[in-house]
Amino acid sequence: MSDEQLLRRVEHMARARGLDISPDVVAEAVKRVLTELGESPGQSDDASMGSGKLNARRDFPLGAKRPDLVRSASGLHLDEITLEKVLGGKIGFEDIRIRPETLEYQAQIAESAGRPFLAANLRRAGELTRIPDERVLEIYNALRPYRSTKRDLLEMADELESKYQARVCAGLVREAAEVYERRGRLKA
Amino acid sequence: MAKRQKRFQVLADRPVNKDGFIKEWIEVGLVAMDSPNDPKPGIKIQGGKVLELDGKDRDHFDMIDTWIADHCIDVSVANEAMAIDSTEFARMLVDIHVPRSEIVRLSVGLTPAKVLDILKKMNVVELMMAMQKLRPRRTPSNQAHVTNLKDTPALLGADAAEAAYRGFSELETTVGVGRYAPSNALSLLVGSQTGRPGVITQCAVEESLELTMGMRGLTAYAETVSVYGTDQVFVDGDDTPWSKAFLASAYASRGLKMRFTSGTGSEVQMGYAEGKSMLYLEIRCVMITKGAGVQGLQNGSISVIGVPGAVPSGIRAVLAENVATVLMDLEVASGNDQTFTHSPIRNTARMLMQFLPGTDLIFSGYSSVPNYDNMFAGSTHDCDDYDDFLVLQRDLQVDGGLHPVTEEEVIAIRNKGARAMQAVFYELGLPAITDEEVEAATYAHGSKDMPDRNVPEDLRAIDQFMKRGSTGLDVVRALAKQGFNDVAEAVLGLLKQKVSGDYLHTSAIFDTKFEVLSAVNDPNDYEGPGTGYRLEGERWERLKDIPQAIRPEDV
Repeated sequence: MSDEQLLRRVEHMARARGLDISPDVVAEAVKRVLTELGESPGQSDDASMGSGKLNARRDFPLGAKRPDLVRSASGLHLDEITLEKVLGGKIGFEDIRIRPETLEYQAQIAESAGRPFLAANLRRAGELTRIPDERVLEIYNALRPYRSTKRDLLEMADELESKYQARVCAGLVREAAEVYERRGRLKA
Repeated sequence: MAKRQKRFQVLADRPVNKDGFIKEWIEVGLVAMDSPNDPKPGIKIQGGKVLELDGKDRDHFDMIDTWIADHCIDVSVANEAMAIDSTEFARMLVDIHVPRSEIVRLSVGLTPAKVLDILKKMNVVELMMAMQKLRPRRTPSNQAHVTNLKDTPALLGADAAEAAYRGFSELETTVGVGRYAPSNALSLLVGSQTGRPGVITQCAVEESLELTMGMRGLTAYAETVSVYGTDQVFVDGDDTPWSKAFLASAYASRGLKMRFTSGTGSEVQMGYAEGKSMLYLEIRCVMITKGAGVQGLQNGSISVIGVPGAVPSGIRAVLAENVATVLMDLEVASGNDQTFTHSPIRNTARMLMQFLPGTDLIFSGYSSVPNYDNMFAGSTHDCDDYDDFLVLQRDLQVDGGLHPVTEEEVIAIRNKGARAMQAVFYELGLPAITDEEVEAATYAHGSKDMPDRNVPEDLRAIDQFMKRGSTGLDVVRALAKQGFNDVAEAVLGLLKQKVSGDYLHTSAIFDTKFEVLSAVNDPNDYEGPGTGYRLEGERWERLKDIPQAIRPEDV
């Protein structure tokens, strides 16, 4: 069974049980299991995820120097996104969205260029790729001053962590809850 | 005075005397870069945590202190950096033998008061030298404003096409009427890719709407994500460092470039400066941005330039805040984007501070439209100043990002931009752009030359356009269907950049082939004469060739 078939089967099983899991989370889980089994998921795609990190001088810009690594959220390579396909209705918005692996690669580039702060932001962004647009906007608005109680924020952090595997973002929200409480910025 | 001295009478009528000036007023923060209330530099670290910041202990930290202490300051270099005498550090900023990388390594160990203490030691020429050495990207560039009083789409398309064609690498719009925002974003997207593929566009509106348009692919980057230097003003701006940091990640998660915005004087204007100097508060903004992991910052007072502009050394402080930004290794979009004086002399002198050393984006932006059409309350320079600007580049051999053009070329590109908008409006079911509008937009000076549109009808259709969930892909299809294949390819090319994420890096812009130029692959390597960016070769030949210069063979 290929990785893609396995992925599809797991997704199907999840849906059959009425589980609300995003495809990205499934993909990540599958990848983790396969890695543990000592089997490399995909081919060259993930070569850099393990030991060899990407390097700013060698690999940037990714689009030109490492096209093998760049795929859209739906799995298309850049050269597969063409005007003909757009006109033929074969390209949807998912096909032109960034995927978390790419943000991880770009974070590695940022690190090797001496920019750990930017890298951290790109890793938080990688987590947010799994969250629908509307929910991202809601979370942003809930983080604005006087919008949420401490409990609201902590529940949101739990949701980020459990539903979307967004651990770093969850940490940011928990930190906000503490600071807002101390500085009186919570919803009354 | 019974009898006036005639020279004084003439002086009284000069434009500069219509400007507002005020003596320093410490209590309300009307002081550029040296308030007795500014804290003294200092740091205490224990167990990998900042326990004391600029004389304040952790129990008394406000929100911003907490953010800076926990997210910006690198405790592994703080003691080393803070131990360097401020005058010595200031000398390192201008010393061509101290590489940029060494300055950047130490910069995250500095506290806000220490950065202030360093910058206070520098005069404007030294600050310009620091800017020349420290800006992240080697190649300087420029950004334009594209707006008009009527939010009329054919003119926005034509103006965006011309601005892109003239050399700006970023275009920014905003609205007269709020509900026009998606239409203006759409006009800039189409116009920019008509004028020069690879130019990126933004629409400055309320945070949530701005993000939504970015997510839909109607814009390619964002800039109006404001941060402030005191807690109270930050909260009055309806955000916190945490919400803004989350927003920054939200943009990157959709593959969109973004930078924050701040500026000296905003805290004074909003009434909570805590008696601190404008530059001290602005340095806090720079450090908030750094801590959020954002690649860059728009500053240089921006929309409150009248405030630092009114006090002594205020324009020096505005340059110093730009330098604080690049000191922290952030892309700087360095202001020059609002009218602040009646005096053309003062106006240009203020602009030279960024123009001469070169910054990532010298203006943020230059008004590509007449002053009356600029919905950001004017800019220091506008479309009527293009030739002055081109001559300044030629006089001083400085690259300000623009190049000479001919009238024929501009007529052709404006016409194509307006026609592309007509085609897109037709295909997307938006109210028709008439041939009369296309013709008017092609030859217009500004929106006074444009026929009026049916505004309620436009707004209803734009609401529908957003409700349908239309995206950048619909724009690509519309352009191709109407025969604008090259523009369709360019818009698609821009959308594809969000897949690779290469332009999320510091100071990223694109060339015509969508090859990214950023601090990663075009790092500033200035180390004195003979190094760094030099205006020479093909580029200099192009910039010096202004059409009005007499050719020797014609004499």
